[in-house]
Formats: sequence, C-alpha cells, structure tokens
Amino acid sequence: MRYRAPADAALLTAELDAFTAVFHRPSGITHLLVSPAPEIVALLADTPLDLDTLLVRLGERYDLADASRDALAARLDELVAAGLVEAL
Amino acid sequence: MSDETPVDGYNPAQAGPAEPDDAAVATRRRVLMLGAVTAGAVVSIRPALAQTAGSVMTCEIPVPDLGRAGRFIDPAGNVVAPGTKGAFPPASRPFKGEEVKRALAGAQLPGTTYESNRAYVSYIRRLQRGQGGFTCFASLQMPRG
Repeated sequence: MRYRAPADAALLTAELDAFTAVFHRPSGITHLLVSPAPEIVALLADTPLDLDTLLVRLGERYDLADASRDALAARLDELVAAGLVEAL
Repeated sequence: MSDETPVDGYNPAQAGPAEPDDAAVATRRRVLMLGAVTAGAVVSIRPALAQTAGSVMTCEIPVPDLGRAGRFIDPAGNVVAPGTKGAFPPASRPFKGEEVKRALAGAQLPGTTYESNRAYVSYIRRLQRGQGGFTCFASLQMPRG
C-alpha cells in the first residue's frame, strides 16, 4: 500500500498560528491540519511512498520523538479519510 | 604561559580556529510528534449544506428550478420557452440527490427517456449558485457525505 498526496499546484496552503489551512482545489474543500499532517502531505507530494519508507523519510527530515508505525498509520488513515492523501 | 586555568583540558593556547560542530548541526532537526493513535490532526471544513450523508441523498433538485417552473429544457440544458421545438417539458417531480448522483455516474433519471435524461443532466450540471437545486447538486460532488 503506497500513499500519495496531491501535487503542490493542486493545493493552496496557508500557515495560520494554530494550524495549517489547506485548500484542495479539485474538491474545493478546506482542511485544517496540525502537525504532523502538513509535514506528511508535503513528503508525499512527489512520489508515492509506503508507510515504512515514509517513516524513514520523516525521521531523516525531522526528529521523531515518538516514532511509531501505529501512530503514522493513524495519521495516514485520517488524511485518506479527508481525501488529502490517496492510498494506492 | 597562560594565566587562565584550563577547563576540562581545554587550553586556549592550543585551540585552533573555532569550527562548526558538524554533529550538532546534523541533529538540529525540528522535533515532530506523530501523536497518539487516537489523536486527530485533520479537520475538514464542509459547507453547512452537506451535513450528513442522509441529507445529501434526500435533498431535491427540481428541473427547472421553481423560479422558472413550466419552462422547457433544451438538449443542451438551457431553460427555454414552453413548447420550444426539440426541448423537453419540465420534470414531473423534483429529483432526489441519490437519483441525480446515480445519473451523474451514468444511470438514467427516473421517468426520463435517453434524450430527456441527457437534457436534464445537462441542465443540472450547469446550475449556478443562487438557482434552486444548486446547493443539493454541489453537495453531491463532495467526496464524502
């Protein structure tokens, strides 16, 4: 199972104090994201990644204090349910 | 001979130019918490017009809208004068969201012929904000609910 986020051009992102607002152009829906969701979406924008590879890439870019497959899976499920990430 | 007391073996007389601490730079990544499994990180703002899956499926789209009741629909979906040649009479009843959703996916609206279905669907697809049924139509296109 690999995950993919829309290309940058398909999203309009605004950093607000408490969260990141993401307007998904194809659906016209605005989502409010808090970390780690925007970081996950950004990493999945280029090429589809599976969960383990995504966990590794997140660990390379950030200091994952609570690295856990289950937690990342829960975040991905949320993003898929919202329509921001596609499960391939 | 320096008057300073060496600290932890550091002797200023022997120290070379200050060099960046490579190890510290490499690990100076921002902390990112993945969160508990039950925590939430995404909230989607949905317009009030699509509150539950039930309400979407039972909302109605009259063809044409009530403000233009009685007028005909031409094959391209335009609303034209009653009796216009080649145009279809208004739908006998408003269509439910569920029925329109299926028609958008290729099924036929109830009570229509192939041609009148195409005309009605074209009309529906071209609904604008402010026209009766637009809200229902827009909510059909939301990915969920």
